Amino acid sequence: MSLFSAMAVSASGMSAQRTRAELLVENLANAETTRTPEGGPYRRKDAVFASQPMGAAFGSLFEEHLQEGVTVEEISLDSRPPERRYMPGHPDAGPDGYVAFPRIDPAADMVDLTGAARGFQANVAAIAAVKDMLMRSIDLFK
Amino acid sequence: MLSGIANDLERYMNLLSARQKVVASNIANADTPGYQTQDIDFEAEFRAAAGGTPAAFPVSGLPEKNDGNNVSLDREARLLAENGIRFNLASNLMRTQIQEIRAALQSGSNP
Repeated sequence: MSLFSAMAVSASGMSAQRTRAELLVENLANAETTRTPEGGPYRRKDAVFASQPMGAAFGSLFEEHLQEGVTVEEISLDSRPPERRYMPGHPDAGPDGYVAFPRIDPAADMVDLTGAARGFQANVAAIAAVKDMLMRSIDLFK
Repeated sequence: MLSGIANDLERYMNLLSARQKVVASNIANADTPGYQTQDIDFEAEFRAAAGGTPAAFPVSGLPEKNDGNNVSLDREARLLAENGIRFNLASNLMRTQIQEIRAALQSGSNP
């Protein structure tokens, strides 16, 4: 039944957008974090999406090539050097008095967070539309 | 037993659900770098005598973002609503076909 796999595709989109939103929230929470288990300041994380062919639910090969879900392929770490602020009194200050802070722009992350929320909503709307089609098919039995 | 109209309706509904799946894929990949919007040629697929598997092809003429993705959420939202309405119409038509047969059966059992 091809409509059920359309729901699976939308669900993969919801899951990917949720992962992205979680990473963005983590970035915002750690915008001033100077200590991490790996050492050094926190580094901004972002989700890299990749499209992924979805396996059909009941082995039906019909239309399998039509459906492409989405998956989080990797979580990329910001490779830019950290932001240096002159704070000689800070416990993590280097010998020159500069402290390495994460290079995080809260405004940019908030914009991305809004985008992730809208992407999530679009997938929810797609599921609702497909569900409506399924229910109408079931109504044919009445 | 169902007439040719019902067979056409069935194919129409099958194609609509295939297209809805393509739209769902496009929406799920709205933020995937390099993803190109897919669609099926609805009229050509409907005219093709054999049901077969509809072929998806990339849609041209959509503005591309910096990451090579050209999914337009406005376009997909329109198609999502349009497919839903078309499916609604087709399922109502199909219901009248079934009701005709049911009426014929009932008139036979209760003269």
